[in-house]
Amino acid sequence: MKYRNRTMGALVAVGALTLAACSSGDSDDTTAPTGAGGEADFSGETLKVMHYEGDESAMGKAWNLAIEMFEEQTGATVDLQTTAFEDLNASAEQLFDSSDAPDVSEYNKGNGTAGQLAAIGVIQNLDDAYAKYGWADKLGAGVDTIAKYNEDGVMGSGSFYGVPNYGEFVFMYYNTEMFEEYGIEVPTSQEDLEAAMQTFVDNGITPLTTSAQEYPMGQLWYQLALSQADRDFVNAYQLYTEEVNWQGEEISYATETLSDWVSNGYISSEVSGLTAEDAGLQFINGEVPMFYSGSWWYGRMLSDVTDFTVGITNWPGTTLTPGSGGNIWVIPVESKQPELAEIFIDITMSPEVQALLGESGGLPVAANTEDVQDPDAQALIGLFNEVNDRDGLSFYPDWPTPSFYGDLNGVMQGLVNGTFTPEQAQSELENYYESYVSTVR
Amino acid sequence: MPSMTRTPKRQVQPQDAPRIPQRGGGKLGYWLYFIPGAILVGVVIFYPIIRNLRLSFFHWRGGRAEEQFAGFENWTALFQDSEYLQSFMNIALVIVAMVIVPTLLGLVVAAALFDVVGRRFGGKLSSFLRATYYLPQILPIAVAGVMFSWILKPNSDGVLNQFLSFLTGDDVAVNWLGGQYSTAIISTMVLMIWIQIGYPVVIFMAALQRVEPELYEASELDGANWFQRFRAITLPMIRPEVFVVGLTTTIAALKVFAPVFILTRGGPSKSTYVPSFYAYQEFISGTDKGYAAAIASSITIVVFIVSVIFIKAQTRAERKDA
Repeated sequence: MKYRNRTMGALVAVGALTLAACSSGDSDDTTAPTGAGGEADFSGETLKVMHYEGDESAMGKAWNLAIEMFEEQTGATVDLQTTAFEDLNASAEQLFDSSDAPDVSEYNKGNGTAGQLAAIGVIQNLDDAYAKYGWADKLGAGVDTIAKYNEDGVMGSGSFYGVPNYGEFVFMYYNTEMFEEYGIEVPTSQEDLEAAMQTFVDNGITPLTTSAQEYPMGQLWYQLALSQADRDFVNAYQLYTEEVNWQGEEISYATETLSDWVSNGYISSEVSGLTAEDAGLQFINGEVPMFYSGSWWYGRMLSDVTDFTVGITNWPGTTLTPGSGGNIWVIPVESKQPELAEIFIDITMSPEVQALLGESGGLPVAANTEDVQDPDAQALIGLFNEVNDRDGLSFYPDWPTPSFYGDLNGVMQGLVNGTFTPEQAQSELENYYESYVSTVR
Repeated sequence: MPSMTRTPKRQVQPQDAPRIPQRGGGKLGYWLYFIPGAILVGVVIFYPIIRNLRLSFFHWRGGRAEEQFAGFENWTALFQDSEYLQSFMNIALVIVAMVIVPTLLGLVVAAALFDVVGRRFGGKLSSFLRATYYLPQILPIAVAGVMFSWILKPNSDGVLNQFLSFLTGDDVAVNWLGGQYSTAIISTMVLMIWIQIGYPVVIFMAALQRVEPELYEASELDGANWFQRFRAITLPMIRPEVFVVGLTTTIAALKVFAPVFILTRGGPSKSTYVPSFYAYQEFISGTDKGYAAAIASSITIVVFIVSVIFIKAQTRAERKDA
């Protein structure tokens, strides 16, 4: 994700998942990080590692273990540099091509981010490292899509430029007490969902919170479009396999439904001025019964919500769901230790690190699923398995162009505050999308 | 009558002049002292401006991608870009918020503090009040912006909405930053005024120290009221400072970035874009850095033109006074 709050601690153990299972290799045969690091002595060398995970997050814990193992196995020292996700997004293009570049860094995936860096030559081609360490065997199809980029920076084909080692997806958080209070069942279809929302509105409660100033509403819009779409639509939208019909049924359904929901009071018009954090807090504080957002909120929901029980469910009546592999490890073109960087990445893929990632609340790509005991972890994995079983991971709505994140948020704000009709919103989005995609399609 | 003899002013003799190493007996030596500053200005200011100007004539995706000569394409595209034009239209409102209102308010506040508060209640109180006006200037803009976001929250949690609810007795939930263009830009303007007001107050109060107190006293004895004193004494005395404040705040308004970045991120629907924010967005997430460079260069050109106009106007006014 482009925009997660990196400090969210995922405090509850979540386990491994089917990404590994659906890959061509068996997670059991994940090789220990022998490689060059197991045999060569790199004493006196230093590896500059950069990432943006909080120490208490699942990834932060996992990367700390990876650093410890790396130093033990290679004799080299790690110079850890932590940064903010947004800061690295804004500066990576210059940083990775400078003498201050880290040797290996976590980075955001997708066409507009890692794809852009691959296209302009500031991150290294990892084809040889993939062959050497067998990373491709550990990644499922939905995950390796975000590791490969062609010469235009479009994901899904071309060479490997990054290594993802966890997954993420978007689903509905709901307040079980409020559902019970008003006798509402967890919706299993779009009609159920709208009926549930109407019941809340009839009782003076705004049912669904989101944010149009930041990512949540764009993801909700995309989910509504996906609920009417098939894989060809996703490929056309994300991989530019054919032209997207911006006035077609998928996108029209999404924009019109959102517009109706605002008119009906299912979503408050105030969301145009809310950030993702504001929306999340409305749910956490028990002000709103439903919040549609990603797995990166899960640990925080379980730790911060004290007045009610958090329920989770996939969006009803859809096969396709926003989600993908997590952020990726990349090696900047100015890395002074590319060999050690590859060894480090390989260690992050090791069973030990992957297991800790799962136990700490992440969704690892290369760990054993049987070990998970915690019921909250099992609930999340169960939900994610549902999506993977139906091959539902469909990436994120802002990936098609480098500037589409801001473009989409702007249009969503206009849709909510009445600046744009649904048709105008679609035309606006088409203009933004085509101004870039027509140059690379 | 005692006679007084005046000692003739002594002329500076060549042997008394500062000894500066000179080549060939000329004035070249003076230039040695100029070199460090010139290098610094060249490296920090002129080199980036020239590089940026050059880049504005190319298409460039960034990083190690090749630059492709674009001629005037980026520049002509600017004038067909509604977001760019909107961003410059917004500058007119920013000038109201950062130049016109703070300068006018600053004049009144400074005059009132100096002429009324200072004289009736003492210098300490007026200094204290001056410091409170200046406080937003020293507050990091990020802190001020976050504080305003909290005040302007769109739902009933927002401090301003709560205050209005209290006053009206109704449940007020105005979407200050995300609702309509007008509320978003006015909210941003209020933040700018609040931040900016202390600057002219401090400058004008410093300028007023030059005014002889007898002038005010004499005018008061002649029966002049506060407004007449303000118009006849205060305003003419601090005219140079008004020019300086006008120039510096206009330049700041043309380059304004932080309040927009923190409060609205250019929203809703990109309607509060200003040129600097637009240039930043294009540099960070755009695919043509050349276009971003054209936006940035256009700001530099406008700032340069505005500065020349101001300085000429000031020189003309000074000549008139002389």
